[in-house]
Amino acid sequence: MASLSIVVPFIFLLLVNWCFARPLYPLPSRRNDRNRRPLQTFRPYNVAHRGSNGEIPEESAASYMKAIEEGADFIEADILATKDGVLICSHDVNLDDTTDIHDHKEFADRKRTYEVQAVNITGYFSVDFTLEELKSLRLKQRYPFRDQQYNGMYSIITFEEFISIALDAPRVVGIYPEIKNPVFINQRVKWSGGKKYEDKFVETLKKYGYRGSYMSKEWLKQPAFIQSFAPASLIYISKQTNIPKVFLIDDVNIPTQDTNQSYQEITSDKYLDFIKEYVVGIGPWKDNLVPVSGNYLETPSDLVARAHVRNLQVHPYTFRNENQFLHFNFSEDPYKEYDYWINKVGVDGLFTDFAGSLHQFQEWTNPLSSGEEDAHKLLDRIASMISKFKHA
Amino acid sequence: MLFLVGCSSRSLYPLPNRRHNGNRQPLQTFRPYNIAHRGSNGEIPEETTAAYKRAIEEGTDFIETDILASKDGVLISFHDVCLDDTTDIAEHEEFINRKRTYEVQGSNVTGYFVVDFTLKELKSLRVKQRYPFRDQQYNGKFSIITFEEFISIALDADRIVGIYPEMKNPVFINQRVKWPGGKKFEDKFVEILKKYRYRGSYMSKEWLKQPAFIQSFAPTSLLYISNQTDLPKILLIDDVNMPTQDTNQSYWEITSDKYLDFIKEYIVGIGPWKDTLVTASDNYLRKPTDLVARAHARNLQVHPYTFRNENKFLHFNFSQDPYKEFDYWINKIGVDGLFTDFTGSLHQFQEWTSPLSTGEEDANKLLDKIVFMISKFKTK
Repeated sequence: MASLSIVVPFIFLLLVNWCFARPLYPLPSRRNDRNRRPLQTFRPYNVAHRGSNGEIPEESAASYMKAIEEGADFIEADILATKDGVLICSHDVNLDDTTDIHDHKEFADRKRTYEVQAVNITGYFSVDFTLEELKSLRLKQRYPFRDQQYNGMYSIITFEEFISIALDAPRVVGIYPEIKNPVFINQRVKWSGGKKYEDKFVETLKKYGYRGSYMSKEWLKQPAFIQSFAPASLIYISKQTNIPKVFLIDDVNIPTQDTNQSYQEITSDKYLDFIKEYVVGIGPWKDNLVPVSGNYLETPSDLVARAHVRNLQVHPYTFRNENQFLHFNFSEDPYKEYDYWINKVGVDGLFTDFAGSLHQFQEWTNPLSSGEEDAHKLLDRIASMISKFKHA
Repeated sequence: MLFLVGCSSRSLYPLPNRRHNGNRQPLQTFRPYNIAHRGSNGEIPEETTAAYKRAIEEGTDFIETDILASKDGVLISFHDVCLDDTTDIAEHEEFINRKRTYEVQGSNVTGYFVVDFTLKELKSLRVKQRYPFRDQQYNGKFSIITFEEFISIALDADRIVGIYPEMKNPVFINQRVKWPGGKKFEDKFVEILKKYRYRGSYMSKEWLKQPAFIQSFAPTSLLYISNQTDLPKILLIDDVNMPTQDTNQSYWEITSDKYLDFIKEYIVGIGPWKDTLVTASDNYLRKPTDLVARAHARNLQVHPYTFRNENKFLHFNFSQDPYKEFDYWINKIGVDGLFTDFTGSLHQFQEWTSPLSTGEEDANKLLDKIVFMISKFKTK
């Protein structure tokens, strides 16, 4: 009878093992022979910063789907981790500004003060909540002057759910995830087998077939950029994946969180020569690329030139339509701002809260042609040109 | 006496810089009119020479202004009856005793009124940007201009630019300012237009040479001048709770079929506040009212006011994007003209979506596009 008490649990374990270890077959909606329109690569990338968060609360499924609908090339997300080690999409380390955490009395005792990048922050931190608990919260629009009507409707999503949205799109849409606050995450969250946050990040990408260097065949099928403010993290994962990486650069007075290097150091020629072996581009704050005074842009700094000469792309952040974010050169007109950065400064990609507006600007000034539609338009225009001469 | 009369009544010969020989680019008439509301006041303080010249530079079809009168009867370009919000009057100690309280359109207003200052005194003031969130760098640089100076700016432009002056607060002006010979504000208004040869009905040859619309919230003023000039007139319509200042008629009355049938004999169009054309709730536009349809059925143009780029003025349907707003009003609602504080943005939108062609530039662009299209097939 002793053997039965061993066999039964053993069989049970086998069954459990089979159930949880089924292979990841392609979903019917994602068959390989889908004829999806490819990523455009002839004009600067339209990167939907946290989705279309100008209209819908940031980093929600709805926000990302809206961005795809509006024509974004890439959907962008900040990846953090829960208490139980699940990677999620959320920008702030704390939940106070973008969720209804304050309405949840059951979590009232989770308030903490932590040091994050040398600043003490008090609030409810996502690293102190399990995924199940986070899923019970609801997102809200961060800025009061944006549409509040979707507050309370959407949940936080996981990294895998974010990837799913991109893979489900009717055309090829890239992803642009960020290794966000890795120093803080690795302090607070532990994974089994000695793995770190960066390992889990890359693991997730590989699980869904993301691979390939910039512009390779594999990459074009599933485009991705990995971004981070932490150079050590980017260098660390460079052995694990050849997906292109972008080095984010913070404001002039903020040192890197992991290597404590200053803005001056990481934008120096020497550093760019070093980092260019690991990254395909940089992502600076746009007001550092062109300094501002009296709310007017002045002469551009040479950072774009020095990056481009090293074949490094430049993807500045963040473009927003609201006039409080527009310098007076642009007559409160976000399209004038796009025109300046794309045509005068010559950036290679733009992080924008309003992917729809950027797409519209690009379609008006540098359109994707669909061939047949264009032929008809051309014939129309030739006809209208000739007809003008009839009456002359 | 004769000598004096001779000096002050020399004939108005054409200035050398205005002998265009008819070679100026004509007014566009194939797409809705781009009306620079108070000039490019999104960028430069309203109703200044600089604001109007900027608007012309940015491609506007019409420069718009509000006409009031000074104490000594000179017609000036100025929107408010008071100087407080758009000038540095508060810094002029010499005028400190001019503060008054008058009733204007049923409410008591306290401030420094333009009708209590001579032109010379007004010219000593400096104009400032009304909205704190707009560029303040031109504050203190520009003066108030006269109606005649405003007209001058249009006539000096290097292409044909129309004018869109408003008979502003005629009831109030006529109460406060008197002209010799029993003339009224409306008479002086038309006199100046005629002096500079503005005439002709809508789309006539004379009109196309010097296009103009006369606008007013006061229907009797428009009726009154209809005998004096056949320049096209526009009846402005205020918010739903504001009766007309002269006839005390409600919004509902002046937008009724009966009234439109009556007024259409005198005007070519209406200028409503845009939020009355399409109902809004929770900062979203909902369904359009039928006013545009009823106006258009009577061949009345619709020129709504006022379009502004700042997100606080944009309904949420438009994703904080002023171009989406232009697209909605032009392509969905089908308006015939737009009063905008940002004539440059409207011009850009129109150039991208319904461009003026210049012929040669277009031919080159077309060849480029054909080459680009063919080249795509080469590498397949």
